[in-house]
Amino acid sequence: MNLLESLKIALSSIWNHKVRSVLTMLGIIIGVAAVIIIVAIGQGARKQLTDQMFATDKNAIDIYYEYMPKEGEEGMYWQEPQLTTEDIQTLAEVPGVKAVVGINHAGGQVVYSDTQGDLQITGVGSEYFTAKKIKIVEGRPFYAADTDGLNRAILIDTAARKKFFKETENPIGSIVDINGNPFKVVGVYQSPVPEQYRSSEGELLMPRTVVSMMFGNMEIEQLSVIASDSEKISETGRLAADTLTMKKKLEDGRYTTQNFEEYEAELNKTITLLTLLIGSIAGISLLVGGIGVMNIMLVSVTERTREIGLRKAIGATRARILLQFLIESATLTSLGGMIGIGLASVATILVTKFSPIGAAMNPLIVLIGVSFSALIGIIFGILPANKASKLSPIDALRYE
Amino acid sequence: MIKLTNITKIYGKGDLEVPVLHGIDLTVEDGEFIAIMGPSGSGKSTLMNIIGFLDYPTAGTFELNGEPIGSAKERVLARLRNEHIGFVFQQFFMFPRDNAIKNVASPLIYAGVSKRERTERAKQLLDKVGLGDRMKHLPSELSGGQKQRVAIARALVNNPSILLADEPTGALDSKTSEQIMELFTQLNAEGKTVILVTHEEEIAAYANRIITIKDGLIIDDRRER
Ligand SMILES: Nc1ncnc2c1ncn2[C@@H]1O[C@H](COP(=O)(O)OP(=O)(O)OP(=O)(O)O)[C@@H](O)[C@H]1O
Ligand SMILES: [Mg+2]
Repeated sequence: MNLLESLKIALSSIWNHKVRSVLTMLGIIIGVAAVIIIVAIGQGARKQLTDQMFATDKNAIDIYYEYMPKEGEEGMYWQEPQLTTEDIQTLAEVPGVKAVVGINHAGGQVVYSDTQGDLQITGVGSEYFTAKKIKIVEGRPFYAADTDGLNRAILIDTAARKKFFKETENPIGSIVDINGNPFKVVGVYQSPVPEQYRSSEGELLMPRTVVSMMFGNMEIEQLSVIASDSEKISETGRLAADTLTMKKKLEDGRYTTQNFEEYEAELNKTITLLTLLIGSIAGISLLVGGIGVMNIMLVSVTERTREIGLRKAIGATRARILLQFLIESATLTSLGGMIGIGLASVATILVTKFSPIGAAMNPLIVLIGVSFSALIGIIFGILPANKASKLSPIDALRYE
Repeated sequence: MIKLTNITKIYGKGDLEVPVLHGIDLTVEDGEFIAIMGPSGSGKSTLMNIIGFLDYPTAGTFELNGEPIGSAKERVLARLRNEHIGFVFQQFFMFPRDNAIKNVASPLIYAGVSKRERTERAKQLLDKVGLGDRMKHLPSELSGGQKQRVAIARALVNNPSILLADEPTGALDSKTSEQIMELFTQLNAEGKTVILVTHEEEIAAYANRIITIKDGLIIDDRRER
């Protein structure tokens, strides 16, 4: 038996009923397109979230304070212990720790000659520059003396430089006004934050001791440890957190780390659940599509009773007729699947273009999509094909 | 050679039983030209269908070239139809969307013949039945006589030894019927066994053996010339 021959017969019979075929395929088209779009967007979203999680540094892990009072001693108010440069130095000696970064945050109104803007301020120590591999474009980073001596110095990022200074102008040594206080620009740096999460206004770095003094917040609000071995990041983080808890002799609290693995597992669970949910909706649409195909194939068998009778009269076996109709319905649904994939790829391209999610179509999913729709055609084609193959040739020929 | 012994055929079951053939004994030698006549409803088509492996007899034995067919499987019957029998119907029966060449070539698909050879042989036969200039036409673009020629070409394409025709001229005028009968005569002269059913004496006159059926029994069997 020649499969190609049967495929040609199937294609021509689909072509002969163009409108009906397209309508029949609709369920399959929608089902397949939905599945593929969902999977593509899901993968894109997952990738984006993971990227975001590790946006700054893959080797870094945050250490934060957790209030854990003893039974019966819960207070309404509690205070987070103060951290200082000294604590950072202690943590830097914990085995496996490559560097420790302590920062705080503020925002301030910056004025320079005619320009003004609200900028994000990150308070840092001298260790920040090497630990985060900050690229200094002009001038210098902070030294220990800047933090210890409460030096009113700032570094501006390249965006802020563009905003406040002309290209030919040398910003180093200029005095800018921040919330009414004069600050001296000592350097220009390239912000390590990915562009899409960065304010276009620009940012600036200030010694964290100065931030603490000026804005009244803690000297170290965010403490992160950078491990020399990225594989052992959780371990190193935990060790550092425990060291800090012990050093601070904490009674009603402790230092702990964010658990990435747990977070990631939770995220994966959510995405999987969502995919499953939408997948089952798509599955129902494919089921309905399949029933539509079965229905049309049954109509087609009835319409073509005489053709079937004639084919049998000239020597077609039952198996041959069965195969012909199975191939026809599988071809119908595969075509539907291919159109669905086409639509999905257009949608994926549009999503990538007009939203931050980089939806990615997996070539494997295309293959699965086509084979799955062919399978639907075969499953829902069995009943009609069987009906066709069982017709007796004379009864079929006599059919009016 | 075809040998039928005590063939009976009953349609339906139980109270709805319709006995049609009541014990037909018939031997057809290779190269014969037989006309089957008889009143309407006498069972002529039923007999033709049994001879052409389109239907099973209810009882009796059937031998083709000395081989008993018995209760052969559907797959075997399909092959026998394809290889040994060429069927021509009163209503022509064409694949309406296929042109003359494809219609004629269709049995060869099931014989597993390659596309090129199929087209080749279909063209040859269309030439033979005098339709060399209508090869690419669709059935709807052909006259009744032309359609019947296409059907005859199709019946011949797999080179069967037996040609069965159930009222092949039933839907044609007398002039066209004559041409079709001359074609059958020529094919018989070339060695094909031809069995046809007809109601018309003039058509039966082309045959060299005329069998008359009435109420499912052969009541007359005479050889001409
Ligand atoms: N599938 C069937 N079920 C029941 N009865 C049938 C069936 N097919 C044919 N018959 C009956 O069998 C009898 C013989 O039918 P058949 O078609 O063989 O007659 P015929 O001799 O070919 O008649 P005509 O000259 O009108 O074509 C008829 O009475 C018909 O009603
Ligand atoms: Mg009849």
